[in-house]
Amino acid sequence: MQFRLEKRREPSKLMTYLTPVAAVVLTMVVGAVIFSAIGYDGIGAVREIFLTPLTNSFKWQDLGVKAAPLIIIGVGLSIAYRANVWNIGAEGQYVMGGLAATGVALATYTMTGWWILPLMFVAGMLGGAAYAAIPALLKTRLNVNEILTSLMLTYASVQLIYYLVRAPWKDPMGMGFPQTRRFAADALLPNIIPTTIVHAGVPIAIIVALIAWFVMSRSVFGYQMKVVGAAPHAARYGGFSENKTIWLAMLVSGGLAGMAGMLEVAGPFQRMVPGFPTNYGFTAIIVAFLGRLNPLGVIFAGIVMAITFVGGEVAQTTIGLSSSATGVFQAMMLFFLLAGDILIRYRIKRVVPVVEARA
Amino acid sequence: MTLTRRNVLKVGAAAAALPLLGGKAFAQAEPLKVGFMLIGTVNDNGWNFGHAQGAKFMKEALGDAVAEPTIVENVPEGPDCERVLRELAQSGHKLIFATSFGYGDYVIKVAEQFPDVKFEHATGYQRSDNVATYNARFHEGRAVCGTIAGHLSKTGKAGYIGSFPIPEVVLGINSFVLAARKVNPAFEITPVYISTWNDPAKEADAARAMIDQGIDIIAQHTDGPAALQVAEERGIVGGFGQGADMVAFAPKAQLTSIIDNWGPTYVESAEAVIAGTWASADRWPGLKEGEVQIGPYNASIPADVVAAAEAVKAGQIDGSFNIFTGPINDHTGAERVAAGVTLTDGELLSMDWYVEGVNPPA
Amino acid sequence: MTPELLVAIIVTVVGASTPILIAALGELIVEKSGVLNLGVEGMMLVGAITAFVIVFVTGNHYLAILLAAAAGVATSLIFGFLTLSLSANQTATGLALTIFGTGFSALAGQGYSARPVTLLGPLFPAEIATHPMWRVLFGYSALVYFALIMVVAVWFFLKRTRAGLILRAVGENDLSAHSIGYSVIGVRYLAVMFGGAMAGIAGACFPLLLTPQWAERMTAGRGWIAVALVVFASWKPFRLLAGAYLFGLVVTMELYAKAGGGPLSAIPSELWAALPYLATVVVLVLISIRRDASTNAPACLGKPFLPAN
Repeated sequence: MQFRLEKRREPSKLMTYLTPVAAVVLTMVVGAVIFSAIGYDGIGAVREIFLTPLTNSFKWQDLGVKAAPLIIIGVGLSIAYRANVWNIGAEGQYVMGGLAATGVALATYTMTGWWILPLMFVAGMLGGAAYAAIPALLKTRLNVNEILTSLMLTYASVQLIYYLVRAPWKDPMGMGFPQTRRFAADALLPNIIPTTIVHAGVPIAIIVALIAWFVMSRSVFGYQMKVVGAAPHAARYGGFSENKTIWLAMLVSGGLAGMAGMLEVAGPFQRMVPGFPTNYGFTAIIVAFLGRLNPLGVIFAGIVMAITFVGGEVAQTTIGLSSSATGVFQAMMLFFLLAGDILIRYRIKRVVPVVEARA
Repeated sequence: MTLTRRNVLKVGAAAAALPLLGGKAFAQAEPLKVGFMLIGTVNDNGWNFGHAQGAKFMKEALGDAVAEPTIVENVPEGPDCERVLRELAQSGHKLIFATSFGYGDYVIKVAEQFPDVKFEHATGYQRSDNVATYNARFHEGRAVCGTIAGHLSKTGKAGYIGSFPIPEVVLGINSFVLAARKVNPAFEITPVYISTWNDPAKEADAARAMIDQGIDIIAQHTDGPAALQVAEERGIVGGFGQGADMVAFAPKAQLTSIIDNWGPTYVESAEAVIAGTWASADRWPGLKEGEVQIGPYNASIPADVVAAAEAVKAGQIDGSFNIFTGPINDHTGAERVAAGVTLTDGELLSMDWYVEGVNPPA
Repeated sequence: MTPELLVAIIVTVVGASTPILIAALGELIVEKSGVLNLGVEGMMLVGAITAFVIVFVTGNHYLAILLAAAAGVATSLIFGFLTLSLSANQTATGLALTIFGTGFSALAGQGYSARPVTLLGPLFPAEIATHPMWRVLFGYSALVYFALIMVVAVWFFLKRTRAGLILRAVGENDLSAHSIGYSVIGVRYLAVMFGGAMAGIAGACFPLLLTPQWAERMTAGRGWIAVALVVFASWKPFRLLAGAYLFGLVVTMELYAKAGGGPLSAIPSELWAALPYLATVVVLVLISIRRDASTNAPACLGKPFLPAN
């Protein structure tokens, strides 16, 4: 019995929604089998990584807080990727957003006022967008590959943090350790649900995703992004400028990454530290694809990724599964997910072997 | 156990009776769960390995009184660690060790939400009712190493690989060079910061760069044996194991090692929690308490040098010798600590200047 | 600067450059076939742990290199199957491959971290390399010469062989290569496997050439540098050689400058650390101004092959 792939006339809507679920289920089954086979508690690992974060209500706040930056950055990237603009430097833009917000927080350290947080918010978005503008400029003016420039700039931005917190921004009361002061009260993001750690960034992430979904599916901007991404030549005839699209895609994705940076530094971090870059920018690339480059899908994907992170820690504390095993689980899930993509565009057909008559 | 009113009353009564019963009886009923949160992996041969060894030691020493210790690896400094701390506290761990500086803010924050859980934060300075801090006087070990270096170095030049210029690293460098200069007043040290805790290839290259420019002793404040392996390969006078005995990696080049021995501290803390006598404090034990240990000396070291090293060690144990007693000049030659004055712990913990004999890095 | 120091610096530069050069040569072939595999870092880590375990168990360095290459191929086949057979997105698959390689190597390496091995010794007898001048030429292990030979081999393959021409055709215009009868997917599979083998060997350089131990994530981001270098070199093997050695020179000079004092040591270490990345951006810009990057970049890079069937 043989199988053959046959192209669908139209991408399957059903498969778009079904394959991510199938990928997660497959990961759980295959993961349990493989990890049991190599001597771990495979079923326990699957339970702790994928189910405990959902069944234990204490964990929901963690999922929200972990997913929020992934969703915000992932939404921006999904817009850029739709337009065929490959910004993979969101980590650097996130860092620059965080640094810009930190600059405002430190400059206004002795001041009070409701305006400080909004100012930080704007500074964060501008910081991220400005850093994304470098690859955009180089791409539109000189046709320099944006994948490489945005990635290289990420590494440079991390060094900028190290420098700033070691020298000019060092906390005078920090015992000489490289970190800034803890921000003043008016520069800290409020918790929106008392007695939890859920901060304003969580609803903002949902709102960002909803707005992006609306814009991408209902506005000329969204249409332009998708047309330029899918068919650049046709787009040119339609009067859409490719350069303008690149600029928009980079600025939006960079601005959102910067927003996430601001929300993280003013929320969970409360000061700038060398450990500020936590791979949100890179993980969000996966989140964007996991969410099928659809802002609503990104919400789902952000939560799934958050589950594996939070669950990975649960598995370490409860059954002693090492953190590297969590990484393998994550990679496996991504592999299944990416493999499932094909079912959206193709269907599997059974091939009936034809016995050829020999003349 | 379902949470009926009667059960609550029973638990309440048991809790009230607890101080009368004493710790041991309770401990046998319910082993103490102890959690450890690490910044890296237990397989790093260095800092995190040391804490994992301490956890193991604690379990072996206290047996059934404690549950198998829970170790959470690769926890970044930031909001992620807050989550792990809460996870540990919620899952019944009553004593939690957070073993990296950057966890500090979050330990304080989570400790407020779990007043009945005791937290101990390594290398930190923020404390509260249920948060203690602890560290080890590694610089005492550095003084022993520096003494050996001063005796054995032919070029009078040592290299020192640091991760980041934080006070703890600066403290180690200063202690090392002060001790070496007591033997050889012309002794110099050049620190190189490599801006990472774990990039063994870069550590090795840094060691090569220093050896090629005339140093013949190497010390490092990074996790792992890379620099020592280069010392072995190049056949220089030698280097020192950091955090653990690394003789397997450099049988000829490792002159001795500074061993992190957290075990006794962890036993002490766990016992105090079980007995109900735990109290927040700042502990900074060193050679005297055995938290910092000097590993075996290399057989190639002459007996008089071993004796000199042992004398520095003994002096620090009985309190007759302190490496940070003046006169001490800074790297420009200006007097920084007057004769007879000893730097306070606070001054040591925030040290951001280099002593004479250090070629300060940018 | 004495001749001895100069020689010593060159030797260190060569060591630091070699794994990056090997991995980048592999990625160059992959990209020339029109595929972008961002999983180099992950494949390198799989190669590094494989090489370490083999040399620890058998003590045979050459077997270790061979099996590291095989492990790299096996890892690359995950990428190949997903992106070529199932036409999954290459960027995302490459990132997932790096997550996989990082986790898998750490899992496989548990228990191997406190174990030392020995470096692969120089290829030529020590008598040849006694004088510093000869040491610069004959003082290295086989991995270094392998990298240099592969530069020429890759150049020759691409420029002078029919197979190289087919590979480039597949990368430039997959549809027309398909229409004249070449198996686009088959060629790309071979390219991806070659990239995997080279990444595996590049990973093997860490325990065998640079620091004879196993440490989790010991490649510390050099796989990404290799990916960047391919573009930096505008897909040309000899420029790749220059780029890899330039990178090795920058990172090595930082350490020598700091260790030796002098005016260069006044540069903050953060700037040194950022320099290779900023330099890559600058070179990308310079190349683009000369307009040959756009002509040299494989036209199908990163795009799945989707024939209308």
